[in-house]
Amino acid sequence: MTTEQTIRSLDDPDLFVETPGTIYDAIPPLPPRTEREAEFYAMRDGEMLINLGPQHPSTHGVLRVVLKIDGERVVDLDPVLGYLHRGVEKICENGDWHHAISNCDPLEYIAAMFSEAMPVMVAEKLLDLEVPRRAEYIRVLAWELNRISSHALFVGWLALDLGGLTPVLYGFIERDEIVEMLAALTGQRLLFNYLRIGGVNGDLNHDFLSRLGDWMGNALKRIEDQQKLLNSNEIFVARTRGLGVVDRDMARRTLLSGPVLRATGIPYDVRRAHPYSVYPELEFTIPTREEGDSYARYLLHLDEIKQSIHIIDQVLHRMPDGPVMAKVPRLMRIPPGRAYVSIESPRGQYSAYGMSDGSDQPFRLRIHDPSFFNLQAVGLLMPGNLVADTMAIMASVDPIMGGIDK
Amino acid sequence: MTARQDTTEIRISPTNVAAVMTLLHDDPGFRFLILSDLCGVDTGSAMQVVYHLWSDSTPDWLRVIVDGLPRDDPRAPSVTFLWNGAEWAEREAYDMFGIIFEGNRDLRRIYMPPDYQSFPLRKDFLLADDAARSPGQGVRHMEQTFQPAEYRRTPVLRQGLGSDAGQMAPGIQTAILSSGEDPAR
Amino acid sequence: MEVNDDRPVIQPSVTSGGQPLEPRDEPAAMASDQPSNAQDGLTTTSDDSLIEPIMVANSTWTPADPTAYNGGQPPQITHLRELELGDKGDNGRWGALDIIPTKADYVLDLIRINSLWPLLSGLACCAMEMMSAATSRNDMDRFGMFPFRASPRQADVLIVAGTLTTKMAGPLVRLWEQMPEPKWCVAMGDCTCSGGRYKRSYATVEGIDRVMPVDVYVPGCPPRPEGLIYGMMKLQQLIKERRGHWPERHIGPTVPIGV
Repeated sequence: MTTEQTIRSLDDPDLFVETPGTIYDAIPPLPPRTEREAEFYAMRDGEMLINLGPQHPSTHGVLRVVLKIDGERVVDLDPVLGYLHRGVEKICENGDWHHAISNCDPLEYIAAMFSEAMPVMVAEKLLDLEVPRRAEYIRVLAWELNRISSHALFVGWLALDLGGLTPVLYGFIERDEIVEMLAALTGQRLLFNYLRIGGVNGDLNHDFLSRLGDWMGNALKRIEDQQKLLNSNEIFVARTRGLGVVDRDMARRTLLSGPVLRATGIPYDVRRAHPYSVYPELEFTIPTREEGDSYARYLLHLDEIKQSIHIIDQVLHRMPDGPVMAKVPRLMRIPPGRAYVSIESPRGQYSAYGMSDGSDQPFRLRIHDPSFFNLQAVGLLMPGNLVADTMAIMASVDPIMGGIDK
Repeated sequence: MTARQDTTEIRISPTNVAAVMTLLHDDPGFRFLILSDLCGVDTGSAMQVVYHLWSDSTPDWLRVIVDGLPRDDPRAPSVTFLWNGAEWAEREAYDMFGIIFEGNRDLRRIYMPPDYQSFPLRKDFLLADDAARSPGQGVRHMEQTFQPAEYRRTPVLRQGLGSDAGQMAPGIQTAILSSGEDPAR
Repeated sequence: MEVNDDRPVIQPSVTSGGQPLEPRDEPAAMASDQPSNAQDGLTTTSDDSLIEPIMVANSTWTPADPTAYNGGQPPQITHLRELELGDKGDNGRWGALDIIPTKADYVLDLIRINSLWPLLSGLACCAMEMMSAATSRNDMDRFGMFPFRASPRQADVLIVAGTLTTKMAGPLVRLWEQMPEPKWCVAMGDCTCSGGRYKRSYATVEGIDRVMPVDVYVPGCPPRPEGLIYGMMKLQQLIKERRGHWPERHIGPTVPIGV
């Protein structure tokens, strides 16, 4: 280590530091390792590297984005992931297929029912297992309730990232009501651990049904109230309209899915494209929008909430009787094979690829959530926008770092 | 209800990947325009890369398994020329398995810190586990990359912004120095 | 917290770059501030040597010009260690004058109890319950904790909500150190208390008390918002009981040996 000249620190003139402006974490600490990194860190005159660090007041979790900005405009960005990488896939390989259910819960933690469905549906496909119809209907009910709570939160967070502090309270009211309902059903507010290989854990009970009835009574009206807050709010519209426009070609190349894709006009919904569970028997439309900007994504989420309420209505009317759990052995040795399942989570196409080697441990369980590709596409949407709009674009794409980082 | 068995699987060797993917993507009879998943697999003897494709001409999935990558030097061609979104998925396969995708412009670690040395999802990377008779018994965690608290500090790598420290290339200037301010003020 | 026990270390296989992996040297523990009771299995070497940066051979891309990017040499290392602990640096202690804030803290802590401003440090799922505790149904505003500050310089309490991974541990410790004293730390959720469901994972820190001193542990996966509010009330009670004695609080690992 060579000693530099000792100069006065920029922070405190009474301190002497060895090099000017020593910073904790250089961006990057080592010479660039890839072509893209070299291209990113080649800066022209006037450009600046700003770290939108892993802790930031936006609520999407620990995502670090290194922005290259020119004044107030973002020129390029480099997202750094991995601040929430917990090694879920490796832990799943060390445990049982049943352990994988609760291990995979915190991946997309807001929509935990969908995360749990991944190992469950993979195992059922590998076993070629017949799930009772009542269990399937209860699953759809739980999925759609979770979807509504997730979308309600999305609306709140989108406004919060733009600075509006009130809609997030409304979003959390919705979420708290639904989550208390699901707690009456499953016992847990957030990480439900409810789906089982072969069915669900417990039948509907009186507490859950009474809460559900109360909520359904004025669900649509409450969604409309939430809409009234923001739909024609001048500031909200001005900040989201025309922001982060995705066109269809880019959507296809960057492998988007979910509301981000449907807001560009492509009606791809896994519930219709690759039907699973009892969705073929239910009537619902796939809402799409044409513009592809953040405002369209926001309106699309509200449309989807309405569709979900419609689905819940049908499910409640059609709920069949029967067992909620198939007869499966406790020690589940799954015959060797490979299976791929894919469902529609609130963020897009959530998929899992499972390999079994004949024992009761998954040989490879790969969970792939939609926010992974969606966030990558965000990186292509941000350049050209103002720094303040980066979080708005991120919020409108709605990533959840738990699923991205696994 | 039982799940539909709706996947067709093909196995190819690493040399054919670019040709096969281009054919599946461009050919009007196939039109597999959507790549829905790209992952790496470590079967004990070899590495694989598994692609799942979807076309709007069929409701089924197509699984393409690229088999036979040697475990000590797994290399596979990249499909980022067809789908930009595959870039991060390939980074993840590199990070977790060490599979090097030739043609990926940005192949660096995505989850683990950049100076991490192991590839966690390989089968020879064992999780520490106290349980008796488990393969991970007695294994210590390989690498510690975090910084303990203020009362137990250890020297941290910091990068100075001196005249030639941290300079990435002769033409590149770092932010502070390029604005022309006197750093000593 | 590294425990140097006698378990065999399994050497992994060779990586694709052709370099055999070596377990990184255990970072040396600075024994200057620790209580000096030598406990079983806990070796604290006062080795002041620097850690060399590990340069992994770049097998994915090399620049066309071999002399570019400093020729691939590691950057120069500088560190502020001498400044931080020596007399030139500022470690926040006033020496004999420390008694002044202590006496004032006696009264001020009563005031601080009712306006503990948390830092937004929601990492994972527990952040959802933390936000739920802050919104209308379970309201933390009635305790004075409404403003979740975005900047650590303005925050009193660091509620660590969510799994701490090894990559995030650095930024989180930096956030903790940036918070001005007096500051408290609440470990919310199982992952922060002890590692939780990720105890065996390769990429998580098993409990944040390995990297920072914790005042209140709120277990649960995730803890209910009422649970977090109970934890915050316990923190208020703790501050009230300990008022005026913040500088002498015991900081040290609270994890039992061998865990």
